[in-house]
Amino acid sequence: MNARIDILEGSRIALKSLRAHRLRTLLTTVGIGIGVATLLAILGITQGLDTSFAKQLESLGSSTLYIQKSPWVQMGNWWEFRNRKDLTWAHAEGVRRLSTYATAVAPMVSRNEEVKFHDLSMAAVEISGTTSDYLQVTGFEITRGRFFGESDDDSRSTVAVLGMDVVDTLFPHSDPIGAPIRIGDRVYTVVGTLSRKGKILDESQDEIVLIPFHTHQSQFGAQRSIAIGVSVATPDALDAAEDQLVGIMRRLRQTPPDKPDDFAINRPEQLASTYNQLTGALFGVAVGIGFITLLVGGIGIMNIMLVSVRERTREIGVRRALGARKRTIVVQFVLEAMTVSAVGGALGTALGLGGAKLVSLVTPLAATVKPGTVFFGVGFAALVGLVFGIWPAFRAAQLDPVEALRHE
Amino acid sequence: MLIQLSGIERTYTVGTEKVHALRGVDLSIDAGEWVAIIGQSGSGKSTLMNVIGCLDTPTRGTYFLNGKDVARMDDDSLADVRNREIGFVFQNFQLLPRETALANVELPLVYRGVKAAVRHARAQEALVKVGLADRVHHRPNELSGGQRQRVAIARALAGEPSLLLADEPTGNLDSATGEEIIKLFTQLHEQGHTIVLVTHEPKLAARCPRAVRLSDGLVVADGPGKEVALISVAA
Repeated sequence: MNARIDILEGSRIALKSLRAHRLRTLLTTVGIGIGVATLLAILGITQGLDTSFAKQLESLGSSTLYIQKSPWVQMGNWWEFRNRKDLTWAHAEGVRRLSTYATAVAPMVSRNEEVKFHDLSMAAVEISGTTSDYLQVTGFEITRGRFFGESDDDSRSTVAVLGMDVVDTLFPHSDPIGAPIRIGDRVYTVVGTLSRKGKILDESQDEIVLIPFHTHQSQFGAQRSIAIGVSVATPDALDAAEDQLVGIMRRLRQTPPDKPDDFAINRPEQLASTYNQLTGALFGVAVGIGFITLLVGGIGIMNIMLVSVRERTREIGVRRALGARKRTIVVQFVLEAMTVSAVGGALGTALGLGGAKLVSLVTPLAATVKPGTVFFGVGFAALVGLVFGIWPAFRAAQLDPVEALRHE
Repeated sequence: MLIQLSGIERTYTVGTEKVHALRGVDLSIDAGEWVAIIGQSGSGKSTLMNVIGCLDTPTRGTYFLNGKDVARMDDDSLADVRNREIGFVFQNFQLLPRETALANVELPLVYRGVKAAVRHARAQEALVKVGLADRVHHRPNELSGGQRQRVAIARALAGEPSLLLADEPTGNLDSATGEEIIKLFTQLHEQGHTIVLVTHEPKLAARCPRAVRLSDGLVVADGPGKEVALISVAA
């Protein structure tokens, strides 16, 4: 007698027994299948969210810092942030002059306005006033035409560069370059279009019109705090650059040494950690629900195995009388439980993958499932079978052969 | 000496009460013998059969089977002894309902780790021996009672054990079929098999060359089947 025989014979008996009780097997399988499907769908959505979020963050620029009045993630007194001194063009100029890490410095000022072209219009488009460093800071590219330069800014030219959503809406059939568009009470000439960036957290990055910084101020007023986008050579330089920027900004704003910073340096990666904090707990709960479903399925397995052991008490007695060791009986019933579970796992995996696919089709979440997850699904289900099958199997093996043979 | 039991006691605890099923049984059986163990219900004959069959271990006493001290063996070793030394024939056949006759007969060989091809051949051979060459692939529910018991006997023979242990083998059969089974046992005895047959029927015991009568957990008579069976009628 050896383990190989136990497993071979055990598998044979398991399959035979499952075939003999099709309906029962199916119902038990469904229980475990739903558990695995739930877990996989949740994992798929989680993975999808993480990848799409990481991609979106990347498009914000992995080696970019934003100097702003308040931090993106506000923890503390909102009023305190609001009462800070505004950031100005002069600050951006100072940073450009003093920072040794900055490879590009773009002042940015924004407001939402309606944009019109002939009888077409688009409401609440982000109108950003900036400089040509904007491209390097944000990672946008010019796909057609040109960007505006310093001379455009000096002369307060009414020239505009359009994001692709604006192009799509206002110029469905015609060429935007050279076209006159109306922003508020002024007419701008389109000189270029930006590359398409897509969405970050379900918010389009392409619903944007760029105009020269000082043109923006002359039309909408200068009484607004600006943001200063700073890009550095490599992501590794971010920490050192941030330290230097803090020093430069404090000097420019003459912040007293005993006072905390009256500005914030924001980094896209901070969003990632906030995102993880926010979603981590949520996913924990979701995965917990998946496990509970599996637990319920596992209890179903245990129940059915106890029934099976009871029904086959005489068979167990016969096998023991003919020379089956306890271990052989344990292996037989554990394999039976694992087989049911694995079949359920396979069904559940198919269901879970389908579910994740469905989610990615009908919602903006990109649910992706790695190939390894499939093996995980089946393997995990089999493990559930092992865990919940082992006790009934031990009960079977512990039966007294004499009693078992007499069982009606 | 194939079987040597001495001073065998078996005590059960039922609730708070102690039941002495066997109270000091001495019994020796040689290879090639055909011995009936006879007694009324409650005499301890079933307990004795279980001890001889290594399904149960005595509370006290020694039991040598084929030279091996089986009274003190652990569970795994007992399973191996049952597998190699004993061929069981039960009153209610105890065949696995979902398996064919062939698969049922192969079972002891499966647990011995015999390769499939050898197993098939030996099981086939055993089925031919009991006259079921044409029922090899039938399932138990497709067979008559007599045929089922023949499958069970084939299963007992397939492992070539040193002892055939039959518990009321004709108990669930009509008299004609029972007679066929007894004839089969007679043939097996003539071929040299050692047979221990447990029964409560004096008529059946009378057919055996030797019979042992059990009463109240003790051997009360041991001799030629006809004589021991007669004593029982007198008692």
